Amino acid sequence: MHSTEHMSRRSLMRALLTTAGGMAVANWGALTHSQTIAAEAKRSGKRCIMLYMEGGVSQIDTFDMKPGRPTAGPFLPIQTKVNGIQVCEYLPNIAKHADKLAIIRSMKTQSVDHGIGGYHMHTCYPSSQRVPHPEIGAMVAKYCENPDSDLPSFVKIGSGSGLYGAGYLGPQFEPFVVADDGKLPGFANPSVAADVQDRRGELLNFMEERFAEQRPGEPFAAHRTSELRTLRLVKARKAFDVSAEWERAKARYGNGSFGRACFTALKLVEAGVPFVEASHTGYDSHNDNFPVHKANLQVLDPAWASLLQDLQDRGLLKDTLVVWTSEFGRTPAINFQAGRDHFGRAWTIVLAGGGIKGGQHYGASNRDGFEVQDNPVNEGDLFATMYKTLCINPRAKHFLGSRPIWATPEGAKPIEELLG
Amino acid sequence: MVSAVAFIGSDKVAAANRRGDLLIWNLLSTGDKSPEPARRLVGHTGPINRLLCSPDGKTLISAGNDRAVRFWDALASDGNPGTIVMNDGYRFVGVTEKVAKLPDPPPPVTAKVVEQKPIREFAGHKEWIWGLALSRDGKTLVTGDDSKLVILSDAQKGTEQRRWKVKQWVRALDISPDGKVVVTAEQLPHLSEKEAENGLRGWDAQTGEMKFDASKGLSGGVTTVRFSDDGKYLAFCVGSIDRDGPAGKVFLLNPTTGEKARELTPAHVRGATDLAFHPDGKHLFTCGRDRVVKAWQLSDGAQVHEISLSLQDKGKQGPFTPTLHAVSIAPDGKLLAVADAEGRVVICSLAAK
Repeated sequence: MHSTEHMSRRSLMRALLTTAGGMAVANWGALTHSQTIAAEAKRSGKRCIMLYMEGGVSQIDTFDMKPGRPTAGPFLPIQTKVNGIQVCEYLPNIAKHADKLAIIRSMKTQSVDHGIGGYHMHTCYPSSQRVPHPEIGAMVAKYCENPDSDLPSFVKIGSGSGLYGAGYLGPQFEPFVVADDGKLPGFANPSVAADVQDRRGELLNFMEERFAEQRPGEPFAAHRTSELRTLRLVKARKAFDVSAEWERAKARYGNGSFGRACFTALKLVEAGVPFVEASHTGYDSHNDNFPVHKANLQVLDPAWASLLQDLQDRGLLKDTLVVWTSEFGRTPAINFQAGRDHFGRAWTIVLAGGGIKGGQHYGASNRDGFEVQDNPVNEGDLFATMYKTLCINPRAKHFLGSRPIWATPEGAKPIEELLG
Repeated sequence: MVSAVAFIGSDKVAAANRRGDLLIWNLLSTGDKSPEPARRLVGHTGPINRLLCSPDGKTLISAGNDRAVRFWDALASDGNPGTIVMNDGYRFVGVTEKVAKLPDPPPPVTAKVVEQKPIREFAGHKEWIWGLALSRDGKTLVTGDDSKLVILSDAQKGTEQRRWKVKQWVRALDISPDGKVVVTAEQLPHLSEKEAENGLRGWDAQTGEMKFDASKGLSGGVTTVRFSDDGKYLAFCVGSIDRDGPAGKVFLLNPTTGEKARELTPAHVRGATDLAFHPDGKHLFTCGRDRVVKAWQLSDGAQVHEISLSLQDKGKQGPFTPTLHAVSIAPDGKLLAVADAEGRVVICSLAAK
């Protein structure tokens, strides 16, 4: 190993990992990427933050209100800064950003239970297929990560939305999951000095490289990826430490887990992480829908609005797609326990930034919200739209063995009206 | 969905729903047949959460999500002729995502009523009102809302006397018979018990300063808190959010210190929603998400009777069974009224119980 004296640590790691076949390390610095993909990623500079409302958020109580109709519920609509767009009274801060929002009120989706709905709305494929499809975060990690970054490329803040994984893209694109408030687990704090930690990591890489040459296969790759992630995490942990800035930001974002998660998402994309998902739990309101949604919206509203504002102020919004989504919507009618139940026939998702044309509704539900009236949008169409605005080919072809698989299902079409 | 109920004297009952309808039935001439409503009180524009009648039986007071407290002449019989149509909503559609064809709603019921307007309104609140109580002398009204605000006002004049902030949204409250203490049941609702914030606190009615905090150890959101008329007992029940198992606990507290004196068992399943002291001063009645009304003996905390209300539509049984939302007892102690989410008011005789 005399040669190491003439190589930087990064050069050493790149050399070792390239020898390993380019399998093991991505989603952490992208050291194994081809130059072509790296160049594409740098060129697009796209990022995505997904705000996932776990449990199924009610469209009628947020962005598709039905005032005066029997399905309306007790929330009142308020006017936004865009003529013709009204939102729930408990989203007053989001109302100020309506010019950024593309509100799709015609989602018509198939999977209306939590597990299958979560999978479908993260992958755009039904879980009934035997193919292990990657969730959107893994796809964005593959195509948009910054090859020069030491940070993970797919971060999930909280696991409330479910973990669907990188599927056929391989273990290097698996999500890196942190706590609900964005804080790192305790093991991320190193027990030795940084230079000692670095030397240990290099030694481990060297030894495992030798081991891997004799033992190719995904289980080892996954194991090795985990080890390397841990080592890289120790180096990159400062990006997750938003404590100092949080003291000033918490009054705007809301001093809770979700507010901090959104602020951490901001800081991570600012630092170069291409995909961050923050989940807000507690929307599955079969009972007591209105107080539950009211409490949740008052947490969501300042956090989401502050995120949009800060992205804009930092010049990041034009390249950062912000998605507000869920596994499904909730029924227009109100059940016997003042709840709303699972509903996929006509619900709402909101996109902003990243080249999306804001200040508009797309599609519509009918008078009481039971069916889509105009421009139905399915899972594939939504993902094709998101991928296209992220400069990812919606029909990108991948292989599981020799079997070709596409990023979105056949027939999925981007919604051109939403694309800038 | 019937959300609130209150007796007016012992021969009339008022009930309200989540749409803001407020109806009064005369009970004298009913026999076994369900009576039609006689009066419709017009004014609320959103869910009505609380309903009570003044001790002299002359004034009905209602409050809800439209941020208004409305006072009604409880005894007036004159007004404009009107028509009320019941069962005109979509109430069965909400649970049918997985059903190909939506079932037809029940046939609508049309009734002729006298429509009346409120005699007075109190507009001091800017958020949903869930706390509504009247002092035993009928002079002081206490209200509380989701902005954590409690307001004391003169019940006759409608003038505000004082206001103060509590720690969380007010879900229920009461004022002690001597008028010195206001107890608030507070909550920030969340489906996860870990995320929810529940409170039960006593406040000096004159100063708004906290006198005791009984929040520690609460197993869920308090739905109702109430002093007995003689001031010997302070009772509360838990169940603001549906929870699996025996979540509907009922407790008696020391009314001065807020310390727990007794837990009444067995608890309601999935949550207890309301309670009322019997005029005899010896019994407490509670209702819950399990569609059961329980009668408790205050001297030893024993459950002495149980009324289980069967569903008219058995297909609605299961985890989302219609809740019993509220209970009221007639001043003579002979009748008990229950607000049933299935869309009805159930009157039970307590004479032989």
